[in-house]
Amino acid sequence: MMHFFVKEKMIKFAYMKIKELNKSKLPIVRIDNSLEKYKNQILFKGKLEKANEMLRTVGLPKSKKHA
Amino acid sequence: MKLERYELKAEPSLTVFEFVSEGPKGKITKLVQFGETNFKDLYNLAFGDKDLITGEIDDSVISNNDDSDKVLATVVATVYAFTDKHSDVWVYATGSTRSRTRLYRMGLTKYLTEILEEFDLFGQKKGEWEVFKKGVEYDAFLCQRKND
Repeated sequence: MMHFFVKEKMIKFAYMKIKELNKSKLPIVRIDNSLEKYKNQILFKGKLEKANEMLRTVGLPKSKKHA
Repeated sequence: MKLERYELKAEPSLTVFEFVSEGPKGKITKLVQFGETNFKDLYNLAFGDKDLITGEIDDSVISNNDDSDKVLATVVATVYAFTDKHSDVWVYATGSTRSRTRLYRMGLTKYLTEILEEFDLFGQKKGEWEVFKKGVEYDAFLCQRKND
């Protein structure tokens, strides 16, 4: 009987932990190697071109990090 | 940000993510990419729907799957994951339409306090960057993870 309660508590604890982790700012990310095929592809070409053009003319703001 | 979000998958370098949106229109696979720009350490954030038959990605489609908050929260979560692995980078984002950019601005405004705890955030207006302010219409956004 005692064993059952300990086990139930442990499951509850693990469940709570998973729930907390799911809600934390840093998400749980499952690594899927099948997605590597996209790594060197430009998936959003039009958007990237627009971004490059905009950044070429506007540049970057001053970063506090590198100030 | 205590919003519900979808489970994420990514390739090992965390530059491409995938998740599945679920709603009245069924399951829609979405891809998020942090694409390298012509500028060092500056990545363009883009996401769109993946056509499971052709494998093509469409960033202009309006899914109408009644889960836009959850989708946006999931995309924001990818920014946390990406900048956690690549800490010094800048991330640039804009919507594919004005109304989408506005939607992103509203999302950023809503959670600004939490975002500013971890990121420097800028908005682009009339060809210039400024520190992101509430109530200002921006054409694009840039963020960078703060130092610990």
